[in-house]
Amino acid sequence: MDQVVGPKYGSRGGAGKAYNQSFAREVYRNVDSGEEIKMCMQCGVCAASCPLKEKMDFSPRKIFTLIRAGQREKVLSSQAIMLCTSCYSCKVRCPRKVPVVDVMHGLAHYALRQGYKPRAETALFGQKFWGNIYRLGRIDEKDVALRYFLGHGLGQGIKLMMENKNMGIGMLWYKRMKILPERPIKNVKSLRKMLDKAKAMGKGGAV
Amino acid sequence: MGDKKSILIVGGGMSGLTSAIEAAEVGFDVVIVEKNPYLGGRVAQLYQYFPKLCPPNCGLEINFKRTKSSPRISFYTLAEVEQISGEEGNYQVTIKTKPRFINDQCTGCNKCAEVCPVERSNDFNYGLDKTKAAYLPYAMAFPMQYVIDGSVCHGKACAKCVEVCNYQAIDLEMQPETITLNVGAIVWAAGWNPYDAVKLENYGFGQYANVITNVMMERLCADNGPTQGKILRPSDQKEVEKVAFIQCAGSRDENHLAYCSGICCLASLKQSTYVREKNPNAQAFIYFIDIRAQGKLEDFFVKVKQDEKLSLVKSKIALITEDPATKNLILEGEDTQSGERIRETVDMVVLATGMEPATATVKVPAEVAYDDYGFIVSDQDQKGIYGAGCIKRPADVAGVVQDATGAALRAIQSVVRR
Ligand SMILES: Cc1cc2nc3c(=O)[nH]c(=O)nc-3n(C[C@H](O)[C@H](O)[C@H](O)COP(=O)(O)OP(=O)(O)OC[C@H]3O[C@@H](n4cnc5c(N)ncnc54)[C@H](O)[C@@H]3O)c2cc1C
Ligand code: SF4
Ligand code: SF4
Repeated sequence: MDQVVGPKYGSRGGAGKAYNQSFAREVYRNVDSGEEIKMCMQCGVCAASCPLKEKMDFSPRKIFTLIRAGQREKVLSSQAIMLCTSCYSCKVRCPRKVPVVDVMHGLAHYALRQGYKPRAETALFGQKFWGNIYRLGRIDEKDVALRYFLGHGLGQGIKLMMENKNMGIGMLWYKRMKILPERPIKNVKSLRKMLDKAKAMGKGGAV
Repeated sequence: MGDKKSILIVGGGMSGLTSAIEAAEVGFDVVIVEKNPYLGGRVAQLYQYFPKLCPPNCGLEINFKRTKSSPRISFYTLAEVEQISGEEGNYQVTIKTKPRFINDQCTGCNKCAEVCPVERSNDFNYGLDKTKAAYLPYAMAFPMQYVIDGSVCHGKACAKCVEVCNYQAIDLEMQPETITLNVGAIVWAAGWNPYDAVKLENYGFGQYANVITNVMMERLCADNGPTQGKILRPSDQKEVEKVAFIQCAGSRDENHLAYCSGICCLASLKQSTYVREKNPNAQAFIYFIDIRAQGKLEDFFVKVKQDEKLSLVKSKIALITEDPATKNLILEGEDTQSGERIRETVDMVVLATGMEPATATVKVPAEVAYDDYGFIVSDQDQKGIYGAGCIKRPADVAGVVQDATGAALRAIQSVVRR
């Protein structure tokens, strides 16, 4: 993993390497909420608040510093921007009110538009999740999981199901998941129209 | 200057005392109104002063002595301003005092406290211990006079203290009083309150016993504090070996106080020296966004950071959790210099909370301009009522003393102009 560090505390910015502003400007112009990262003071709260911190290649803080450092390739090909699960922990805690979640999603969309691809796993989950939304207007947890597991092939799918069995039982027990299939929301057709339109505008769809 | 009106000083902390003494020593009459039963304000609760690391009591003592010896200074304790009317040069002020229940015959013998059956949380020590309902706020209190907390005292039904007092100092029927004054100028020096750390949900203050605040740390280290100066952590009274200070706890944070309080970095640096002085084997960690030690106070920072058992870590801590078995605390953050994740376990956490102006909660009962955070704005056009000290901006004692001297001059001008 690459080490990303801010300018050394107390130093004058290291070896005199000039920061290239062009990628930062590209982000401010093209990424939803991209300009908000100007407010970031590099405190690291978002990084440590993220429940996926162990899975991310770069923390949100590092992503923002990489943008400022002109590291276009590293940012747009990072897994971090694709992994964000919208838990909002970072956004509620950020002392500078940077809408970290929104920036992460904005970056993910921008990366996709630029032809970057998420990892196969992430993409598969995204497709199944999106398929559920499109069909039902809501998420049917067991349906998404089933489709995602089986998307790995039958043998692997069954293995994944067994591995996650206890979590499923737990969710049933705490009424976080129903045994019967979820029904579509009222007027799901209008929702689909909206989603189609958003997709046509380049603001939605499965990753 | 006998025909000149007096100056009212609200708040008897370092700022209020300074304004009062400066004005009195050039010949003006002043009246101090202080809501606590003692003068001195928050400074009385400190263990040592940065940058010299001397006890704040010597400075306070000098001010108390000057206050006592000046015939021009009078003061009310347990008093607050209720109403102000009039204008520069001629204000009518209504002051409400709470009963102290003990008069100035009190010699400080402690007999009343010995027999008193009721306990109360000790606000002077930020709730870290208890006193009796009849108590002396602290050992060097000025005035040196006991006080009875009317909100918990059993009153005449008990009156045990009345029986044992040899000086007829106790009067359980003392009533609140209303006093009206006519003054020419008002200096508002009501100071600051520590930001309420309960609001910092991710830090667990109030929930985890060993998460305390910087003001509590001063009391924990003070010889006249709840632990006689030993740093014993609240959960099990164990001597601490690993202490973490968390900077900007609720400061420079748009969800809490958006501004920097300026002194908390220095206070934590100072408190890290307390830890090291009291237990040479102990380790201290200071987690910061950046260290703000301005002007000549940078020398203090440079000196303190040489201690190899002090780690300065550039990271704002995101989350504190408690290990339920040991009551130790686990800190999580990201070291923004190395890029590495932080997961550190310590005995005790000190939150470096900032200063909120008293006027963020209780406004001056008159027309006064405030900024977005409730600090009094020093407005050249605003004449007659002047802020002094931390009511205007967060500052250290040297800073408030300068400011309060300036406020005294402006108040004198208001009195003389008329
Ligand atoms: C943890 C910590 C450590 C610190 N350590 C140092 C240090 O080492 N060195 C240093 O120089 N500075 C230090 N400071 C700063 C120092 O405490 C302040 O500079 C100082 O207290 C400011 O004095 P003040 O008179 O403006 O306010 P205060 O000390 O708050 O005094 C205000 C007074 O007004 C009274 N009052 C409030 N409201 C009313 C009302 N409505 N009516 C009547 N009276 C009222 C209060 O009871 C109080 O007595 C520290 C601060 C903190 C938070
Ligand atoms: S929490 Fe906010 S200010 Fe801190 S590093 Fe993350 S985005 Fe920047
Ligand atoms: S009268 Fe009040 S202060 Fe006196 S001893 Fe009884 S409870 Fe304590």
